[in-house]
Amino acid sequence: MNKTSADILIKKREDLIKQFLHGNEPEFLEKHASLIDEYFFTMFEKSYAARDMTIKGFPFAVIALGGYGRKEQCIHSDIDLLILFKDSVPPEVETFIQELVYPLWDARFEVGYAVRSIKECLSMAFQRFDILTTVLDARFICGASLIYTSFMEQFRADLSDNHLDSTLNYLFEHGEKRHFDFGDSTYRITPDIKKGFGGLRDYHTFLWYAKIKSNIMYRRDLEYYAFLSHFEYLTLEKSLNHIWKTRNFLHYLIKRKCDTLHFEYQTEIARLLGYKSKDNQLAVEYFLGDLHTKMDFLKQINQITFEDILSNIRIKKEHSKSLPTKTNGLIIKKRRLTFSNTVAIMQEPQLLLKIFLESGQRKIPLSIEARRMVYEFIHLVDDNLTKAPDSIKIFKKVLALSYWEFNVLNVMLTTGLLEKFIPEFSAIVNKIQYNHYHLFPVDKHSIRSVQIINSFRKARGLPVDTLYNSVFKEVREKNVLIFAALLHDIGKSDPGSEHSKAGARIAHSILKRFDFKEIQIKDILFLIKNHLLLIKTATRRDISDEETAVLMAHKIGKIKLLRMLYLLTVADSKATGPKAWNKWTENLLRDLFLKTMGILKKGELASRKTHNLIEKKKNIVLRLTKDKWNRDEMERQLDSMSRRYLIYVSGQDIVNHINLYKNLGSKDFTWQVSKEKGSNIRSVSICGKNKPGIYSKIAGVFFMNELDIVGSQAYSFGPGYVLDIFKVKQPRDKIFEKETWEKAQNDLTRALKDDHFLDKAVKKIPKMIKLSSGKIPRSNSIKIDNETSSFFTIIEVFTYDFPGLLFSITNALYQSRTDVNVAMVSTKVDQVVDVFYIKGLENDTKIETEQELEQIKNAILKSLPKIEAKEIKNEKN
Amino acid sequence: MKKIEAVIKPFKLDDVKEALSEIGIYGMTVTEVSGYGRQKGHKEIYRGAEYVVDFVPKIKIELVVSSERADEVVNTVREAANSGKIGDGKIFVLPVEQVVRVRTGETGTKAL
Repeated sequence: MNKTSADILIKKREDLIKQFLHGNEPEFLEKHASLIDEYFFTMFEKSYAARDMTIKGFPFAVIALGGYGRKEQCIHSDIDLLILFKDSVPPEVETFIQELVYPLWDARFEVGYAVRSIKECLSMAFQRFDILTTVLDARFICGASLIYTSFMEQFRADLSDNHLDSTLNYLFEHGEKRHFDFGDSTYRITPDIKKGFGGLRDYHTFLWYAKIKSNIMYRRDLEYYAFLSHFEYLTLEKSLNHIWKTRNFLHYLIKRKCDTLHFEYQTEIARLLGYKSKDNQLAVEYFLGDLHTKMDFLKQINQITFEDILSNIRIKKEHSKSLPTKTNGLIIKKRRLTFSNTVAIMQEPQLLLKIFLESGQRKIPLSIEARRMVYEFIHLVDDNLTKAPDSIKIFKKVLALSYWEFNVLNVMLTTGLLEKFIPEFSAIVNKIQYNHYHLFPVDKHSIRSVQIINSFRKARGLPVDTLYNSVFKEVREKNVLIFAALLHDIGKSDPGSEHSKAGARIAHSILKRFDFKEIQIKDILFLIKNHLLLIKTATRRDISDEETAVLMAHKIGKIKLLRMLYLLTVADSKATGPKAWNKWTENLLRDLFLKTMGILKKGELASRKTHNLIEKKKNIVLRLTKDKWNRDEMERQLDSMSRRYLIYVSGQDIVNHINLYKNLGSKDFTWQVSKEKGSNIRSVSICGKNKPGIYSKIAGVFFMNELDIVGSQAYSFGPGYVLDIFKVKQPRDKIFEKETWEKAQNDLTRALKDDHFLDKAVKKIPKMIKLSSGKIPRSNSIKIDNETSSFFTIIEVFTYDFPGLLFSITNALYQSRTDVNVAMVSTKVDQVVDVFYIKGLENDTKIETEQELEQIKNAILKSLPKIEAKEIKNEKN
Repeated sequence: MKKIEAVIKPFKLDDVKEALSEIGIYGMTVTEVSGYGRQKGHKEIYRGAEYVVDFVPKIKIELVVSSERADEVVNTVREAANSGKIGDGKIFVLPVEQVVRVRTGETGTKAL
C-alpha cells in the first residue's frame, strides 16, 4: 500500500516535471509542493501508527518547514518536516516515521525530519537561529491543527516579547557573513544563485524580516503590508520566477540539488530557457544578462532589509533626528541621505542629481526611500536639466567621487539617472561576455574601472606613494581619464565591430554634450581607441627590445597620454578579473610603461620630428630601390631596422648597407670601402652577424694594420645583425692601398674566429702619450649614465687621441664581458669624447650593480695611456 | 611517452603554438610563471623611486607526446622560441608512465 502512494507521487511528479520542461507549467514550485502534501495526506490517513498515537492521547501535527513550507519546491529541493507533539513524544512515532518517510528515501527524495514537543521546539528555535528561520516558514500539512496553531502563537509571542532584537541582529550579521563567504554572485563566473549576494537567500531574509515584523504569511503580503511598492512587488515576482526556473533546470541537468551555476551548464540552461543567439551575441550571454538583472534586484531587496534593520534596531535614539545638509531640500535621517519632501524635488528637479554629489562628498549613502524617489521622479530629468552647464559640472564631480567601497555611481545606475545623462550606456547594461576572462557585465566593469582610477588618489595616512599614486598625481586633467574609463568599453554595445574603434565613434557624440575642449575630446577618444595597446604589447612583444618601447612611444606620442593610458590599462585589467590582472601582467605592464616613458622623456627616438625624418628616409630608400627590389620586402626590412640607425644614416647609405646585408650569405661579415670626395678619408661600412666583441675586433684589426680611425658609429641592423661605419684615414702605403684593405679583411675574418688573434695588438697600445700643445693636460675621465636609457648603460670616455684608442676602450669593454650596441666616436683636434651604449654579454640587459659599473670604469681607465705634456721643462726654461 | 615542459618568453607563445600546430600538435597546457636564471631581474627608476623586477615574467607550456615524436617537438619549440638572446628559456623532457583520458578511460598514446 505504502509503495503505491509513493509510486503515485513519483508518477505525478514525473509528469509535472515533463510539463515544466515543455514550458507549460508556470506554477511548478507550488504544484510540486502540493503533490508532496497530497502524499502526506494519504499516508497520514492510512497510517495505523498515526491513529494509534492519537487514540493513546498523543495527537500531533505534520508541518512543512523551510522552502517546502513556503511552497517553493524546486525539482531536487529538500523536504523538511516537523512532527510536532503537544507535550511529550511517544515511542510509536518510530513506526509512523518508517511508514511516512522511508518510501520517500527509497525513491531518493532528500527528506529531513525532526520529532519534537512544542516546548523543545520553542527552546531550540530561540537557541539556534537557523532553526528559528525554518520555523518562520512553517506550514501546517495534516494532523492536529490545534497543535500547530498553539505552537505558532507561543512562538510569535515569545519572539516579539523576548527575542526580537537578537533575531534581527542575527539576520543582519548572518547576512553580512554570508556575503563575505560567498561574495557578490552577480560578479562571478559561477554564481551561487541561492547563498551568494543577489541569490534567493536575499529574498528569504527579506521575507523573514517581514514575517518577524508583521506576522505576514505569504509572499503576496509583502505588498499588502507595504514592505514593497506595487511595482517592486511585480519586479520581485518576475525576478524570483526567472531564478527559480534557472534553478529547476540546473537541478534537472545535474540530477541533484545544486545552487552553483557551473560554467559548463550555462549554455544548456540558456537553451532550455528558450534563449536564442542573435546579432553576434550568444544565447547564453542574453540569459546571463537577464539573470544578473534579476539578481541585482534581489540585492536591492536585501539592502532594504538591511537598511531597515539598521535604522530600527542598531542606530541609537540620538541619531534618529533629521539633520540639515548644505543643500536645500536634502536632509540626513538615521545616517542616511534623503529628500526633505517630494515637493522639493518637483520644485527643483536638479536635487535628483545633487543628492549624489552630497552623498559622494560626505560619504553618506542614499536611504532606500531616497533611491525610490529618484527612480519614481526620474521623468523630471529632461534634456534641459542634463544639458545645463551646472548639471554637467555636478555630474563630472560625482564621477570623481565613486570608490569601490562607496559606490555612488552604481546607485546612479540602478536609479536610472546615469542613463539619463548617457543614454548610450543602456546598451551595455548587464551585457555579458561569456568566457572565463570577463567577470563583470560591461556596465559594472566600466563603473568599476572608474572606481579603480579614483582609488589611485592617494589615501591620507599612507606613508609612501605607489607608482599608481604618483602617476595619478601627475595627471592634470583627471576628468579626461575618468571619462575614458567610463566609456572605454561603450563600443561593446555594437558586437559586430572592433569595440575600441566603435567605442571611439560612439563616445565622440557623447563627449560633445559634456562641455569638453576639442583637445580633451581628442585625448579621450585616443584613450578609448587604444585602451588595449599597452597590455597587448606588454604580453605579446619583446619588451626587453628597445624598438618595442620606441614603437609605443611613437604611437602614444605624448607623456601625458602615456600616463593616462597606463592608468586606464591598469584599471581596465583590474576591473576585468583575476585572469586579466595578476602580478605577472602587472610586472610586464609596468616594465613597458617605464621603458616607454624613458624613450618619450628623452625625445631623441620618438619625437614628432624624428618620426617625420624616419618616414622621409624610408620613402627615399623605397624610391631608390623601386626598380631593384620588391617593395613589400623592402618595407618589412625597413620596419625591422633600428630607429637610431634610420635617424642617423643617409638614404643612399641605407641602400648600400642593405646591399651589403643581402650579400652576406653565410659569411660573418661583408664590407665596402668608399672614398670621400676631395679628402683622404675612407668610409668603411661593415655589415655582420652580431658576434660578441665584433666592434672591438674591427677596431683592433684597423689598429693592427695602421689604419687611423677618425670616427665611427655602431648600430644594430635588425635582429641578430650589426652595421658599423668607420671613417679611416687613407693607408700610409698609397700604392698598395687595395692590398692593405684585403689584408685587413682577412685579419678580421681570423679575429672573429679566434679570440686571441688580437693579443699582440693589445701589447702595442701605447702606455703614455705626450701632448704636443704644451698645455697642462686634463686627465682621462669616464662618465657612466645608467638612468637615461632603460636598455643600455651609457659610457662616455673623455681622453686624448692616440693610435689604437678605440681598440683599447672597446677591448676593455669586451674583456669586461659587455657588448657595444651603439657607438658614437669622433675626434675634434686631439680631445676625444666617445660614447658607447653597452649591455652585459651574459644577460643582454644594462649593467645594474654599482660593483660591476666600477669594474668597467677601472678597466677602461687602466687601458688608457697616461697623458703628459711635452717638453714642459723646455718651456719653463 | 614523454612530457615536454618549456619555459619561454611570453611574446614567443604565439609563434610556438603556431609552429606546433604545423606539425600536428594542438593541445598543451599554458601557465603564466615568473622566475630567473641567467637573465636576472632589473630595476627601473621613476621619479627617484626604484621599481625592481626580481622575477622575470615567463610562459610555461607543458605537453605530452609519444616518445618517437619528442625530439621533433623539442626542436620545433626550440626553433620557434629562439630569439638568439639571453632569457629565451629552457626545455625539459620527462618520461611519462601512463596517461588516462577521464571521459573514456582510454590509456596510453590513445589518450593523448
